Amino acid sequence: MNIVVLVKQVPDTWSERKLTDADHTLDRESADAVLDEINERAVEEALLLKEAHGGEVTVIAMGPGRATDAIRKALSMGADKAVHVSDDALHGSDVIATAKVLAKAIGTVEGFDLVIAGNEATDGRAGAIPAILAEILGLPQVTQLRKVTVEGTTVKGERETEEGVAHLEASLPAIVSVTEKINEPRYPSFKGIMAAKKKPVTTLTVADLGVDAGEVGLGGAWSGVIEASPKPPRSAGQRIDDEGVGGSKIAEYLVGQKLI
Amino acid sequence: MSINFTESDERRALRAAVADLGSRYGHEYFVSKARAGEKTDELWAEAGKLGYLGVAVPEEYGGGGGGIGDLAAVCEELARAGSPMLLMVVSPAICATVIARFGTDAQKQRWLPGFAEGTTKMAFAITEPDAGSNSHRLATRVRRDGDEWVLSGGKYYISGVDEVQAVLVVAFSETGPALMIVPTDVAGLTYRPIEMDIVSPEKQFTMFFDDVRLPSDALVGSEDAGLAQLFAGLNPERIMAASFATGMARRALDKAAEYARTRSVWGAPIGSHQGLAHPLAQCAIQVELARVMTQKAAALYDAGQDKAAGESANMAKYAAGEAVATAVDLAIQVHGGNGLATEYGLGSLLSASRISRIAPVSREMILNYVAQHTLNLPRSY
Ligand SMILES: Cc1cc2nc3c(=O)[nH]c(=O)nc-3n(C[C@H](O)[C@H](O)[C@H](O)COP(=O)(O)OP(=O)(O)OC[C@H]3O[C@@H](n4cnc5c(N)ncnc54)[C@H](O)[C@@H]3O)c2cc1C
Ligand SMILES: Cc1cc2nc3c(=O)[nH]c(=O)nc-3n(C[C@H](O)[C@H](O)[C@H](O)COP(=O)(O)OP(=O)(O)OC[C@H]3O[C@@H](n4cnc5c(N)ncnc54)[C@H](O)[C@@H]3O)c2cc1C
Repeated sequence: MNIVVLVKQVPDTWSERKLTDADHTLDRESADAVLDEINERAVEEALLLKEAHGGEVTVIAMGPGRATDAIRKALSMGADKAVHVSDDALHGSDVIATAKVLAKAIGTVEGFDLVIAGNEATDGRAGAIPAILAEILGLPQVTQLRKVTVEGTTVKGERETEEGVAHLEASLPAIVSVTEKINEPRYPSFKGIMAAKKKPVTTLTVADLGVDAGEVGLGGAWSGVIEASPKPPRSAGQRIDDEGVGGSKIAEYLVGQKLI
Repeated sequence: MSINFTESDERRALRAAVADLGSRYGHEYFVSKARAGEKTDELWAEAGKLGYLGVAVPEEYGGGGGGIGDLAAVCEELARAGSPMLLMVVSPAICATVIARFGTDAQKQRWLPGFAEGTTKMAFAITEPDAGSNSHRLATRVRRDGDEWVLSGGKYYISGVDEVQAVLVVAFSETGPALMIVPTDVAGLTYRPIEMDIVSPEKQFTMFFDDVRLPSDALVGSEDAGLAQLFAGLNPERIMAASFATGMARRALDKAAEYARTRSVWGAPIGSHQGLAHPLAQCAIQVELARVMTQKAAALYDAGQDKAAGESANMAKYAAGEAVATAVDLAIQVHGGNGLATEYGLGSLLSASRISRIAPVSREMILNYVAQHTLNLPRSY
């Protein structure tokens, strides 16, 4: 099986995340950058499928130069090779431009059977890339999965929602997205870390992919951020003194907030 | 050796991976194992499987083919994540190194694959009741008897005897110090735990050798190269002990700084009082200097410069021992009453933070070494 995993480098969720004053894009310098955890899980799932069915795992990342760290992490976990789309023109790209570029990059991987993405990146949180990609590439999409199996030329998956569990399937090639319930990602072994350096990484520009630079980046974005201000500090919570009926007062509050 | 103050991408990736693994277990895991009288077997096994414990074992025996600098990074990151492991100082650092460098082919085949995966653990025994800092006075003897060796004497403060397959014992033969591999189930060997006030799953033991008979291949390497072999193992030991200490120091300092940033009793964070800020800053400097010296010692050792590595390793061990004692002391002080509460995980580091001033070589003996070897001063003892 020939598997492609889409991996994104994001600011560490533990560090403070900010927008730049200049153009209201994510300030990537201000925070530690890591391979998004949901993508570690996507890589893990690809490796498990490879272990079961054989084949090759290619990771694709679109991001600035330092995204090589995220790529190397995926390679150290066991992916075989990588495609890194890196181009200054991409700065400020929206979800549609990102999907267009990724679609072209996926096209450079000959004979892929399955594309695995995370359901939602922890920074942008659009949660739309897998679906848009399926549309552009004309492939079936099986999204939001907590379980993935491949039988012959069929990919099967379980999607958990509030209403229940849906059992989905599609014929390969297909695009799947996985949720954080999918698995526990492995730690890179020392040998994996040492081997990652020698694995092939193809770096491509927008022009290499035949994408018009005017369609991507801040200029090509369909929406723009005009103004941003930090979230106001949390207001003091509601206090309930327990005079024997504290429990039911808390329950009332939670019902009011539709939490129970 | 060229000077390079940034670690390689691979070393940094190794640190990040070990830190992730270590933080999943956390200090609570380490402390709960210690208090229940259990071992950190799960963490050890998982680190072993991932090749973190065998980073420095040669590749041909299934190891990572890295250096002591890599192993020291593993030890430091685990300590920083709250699981300071003494056996890392002993088993993969001293024992695996000595066998890899001086063992016979058969010994390498027998032991190194297990060190590579962490499935083999070996303790190291040099300290004796009447020969602590003075290893010239060792009373443990080994003599040939036909095809066999006979070992007699005793050791104390030996870490981990209850959880290892064998102990690498330093004993005097007719030609000088010899290194003997002694299985823990051999007839004539008895050992007893010493009650310690250290919160650690790893225990210390007294060992007695009552005419223990060992096969002829129990001797590591050759009989007359004992001293050189011993020193080859002691440099990694010091580098590892320093890393054990800097890891623990960084943990304490991180916690102290975090608390000083957030705790406020006069309307401003306590970290805004210079009475706390300056000692913390001094400690941060001390810790970083110790780390740089440790990395220098590791780089020299990995470059094959045993002699230069010896001086640096001693200096690093000294600096790291002082840094960790200061850092844990300060972290407790910064936390006020919370510093001694179980929840904050600092009291549990207190006695462990003093190990590094005493073992594997005391700070006074390092000062003696530097006085004599670096400064060429007369010896007083
Ligand atoms: C937790 C722990 C784990 C250990 N694990 C091991 C192990 O696995 N294997 C092993 O072999 N050993 C182990 N040891 C033993 C350790 O290496 C010794 O405790 C250490 O070398 C000091 O020896 P000693 O305790 O006999 O102290 P002593 O030699 O009795 O020294 C007592 C004090 O006198 C000072 N002193 C001695 N001589 C001089 C001098 N000439 N000048 C100035 N001051 C001097 C020392 O610095 C020290 O402060 C361990 C010890 C501890 C605490
Ligand atoms: C064994 C034990 C028994 C105790 N028994 C009692 C008891 O019986 N009754 C009781 O009321 N309390 C008791 N305590 C609590 C003890 O009095 C407090 O721990 C102590 O007063 C410090 O206050 P804190 O813990 O709130 O630390 P904090 O007030 O948070 O201070 C933390 C650190 O900041 C420093 N600091 C704070 N303010 C300043 C400043 N302005 N300038 C410079 N440094 C500053 C402190 O010196 C300390 O090092 C006990 C504590 C222990 C460990």
